[in-house]
Amino acid sequence: MALKDIKTKIKATERMHKVTRAMEAVSAVKMRKTQAAALEGRAYARAALSLLTRLAGTRHVKEHPLGQEREGSKLALVVITSDKGLAGALNSGVLKRAVEAIEGRSIEDVTVFAYGKKGQEFFSRRGYTVARAIENKQDEIPLAIMEDLVTEITEGFLARKYDKAVAVYSNFKSTFEQIPTMRRLLPLSLPALADIVGGIVPAKGKWSSEEPIAAPASYEVEPSDGEVLGILIPKLVAIALYHMLLESKASEHSARMVAMKNASDKSKDVVRDLTRQFNKVRQAAITREVSEIVSGREALSV
Amino acid sequence: MAKTFHLTIANVGENLFDGEALSVTLPGAEGMFTVMAGHEAFVTPLNAGVALVKTTDGAETSYTLSPGGIAEVSGGQATVLL
Repeated sequence: MALKDIKTKIKATERMHKVTRAMEAVSAVKMRKTQAAALEGRAYARAALSLLTRLAGTRHVKEHPLGQEREGSKLALVVITSDKGLAGALNSGVLKRAVEAIEGRSIEDVTVFAYGKKGQEFFSRRGYTVARAIENKQDEIPLAIMEDLVTEITEGFLARKYDKAVAVYSNFKSTFEQIPTMRRLLPLSLPALADIVGGIVPAKGKWSSEEPIAAPASYEVEPSDGEVLGILIPKLVAIALYHMLLESKASEHSARMVAMKNASDKSKDVVRDLTRQFNKVRQAAITREVSEIVSGREALSV
Repeated sequence: MAKTFHLTIANVGENLFDGEALSVTLPGAEGMFTVMAGHEAFVTPLNAGVALVKTTDGAETSYTLSPGGIAEVSGGQATVLL
């Protein structure tokens, strides 16, 4: 490579480094915020889902339509991804998990609710019905959005448009580890719920040492079973989804921060290597010129 | 001394109340009701309104519940989720 080309390449890499470093800094701030939100939200989600789990054990729920298993293969799939890429393997992991979840079902049997553009693009490109696409832009999301979404899903479930509802999201473990996870939303089932609650491990605080949920044999439900459960179950499922969204947010920003950090480190390496090459080429040119002069002189002096 | 029970009032991002209480009055779907220690296990949705918490030191504190929530009483403790 010529000297000038190397120089241009170094410049370009340095510019890239600046960009990735800036993105890393931005993501780091967002990461701190969303991680705190996710960790704080876990206590609440755990309390709400424990409640739901205790309820699911009682006969009221077993008799409720939202708690009944059905034969049938129609699936409502909630996919929570980010809107933007540059976050390492985060979205591809979630989408891979989602594809596993719908394996063996025909395209017509799956209805996708996409939270985040990546999931929407992925499924609409493959010809799936995307019933609803929500942008995953803001970091502060009102619970009401989730309630709307859950209302739509529960209504569809009751109207037998879907026989099952699952959600795929990325569970936040630590800054370096996010696990694509699938959870079942409807119909309610004790093992599935216990699974979700077990997966929520608060970092610290009141709920961190809570023992397994002891379900009372029966609940007094006021005013009447069907009515109350019709309100309670969607609300609690919305809280579960909200919790998943917070986890996904924390995962997204963590993954992006790490990806950008890797990119910054890599670009530094590239600049160092290129500079070394640049020096070598320059030195070679100098040496060649000097030896040309010397040999020219020697030829003359003989 | 009157018996107390553990009461938690929590919002999505924060705990409003977490501790021992003598009684709590809540706006249920069918009117106001009061929970005291030893209440039977039950669960009900709440309307928007005010929760009135009485603690052992005689203090009464009110919390605004909006837009409503869920109250659950089981095994000697009460949880209010907004």
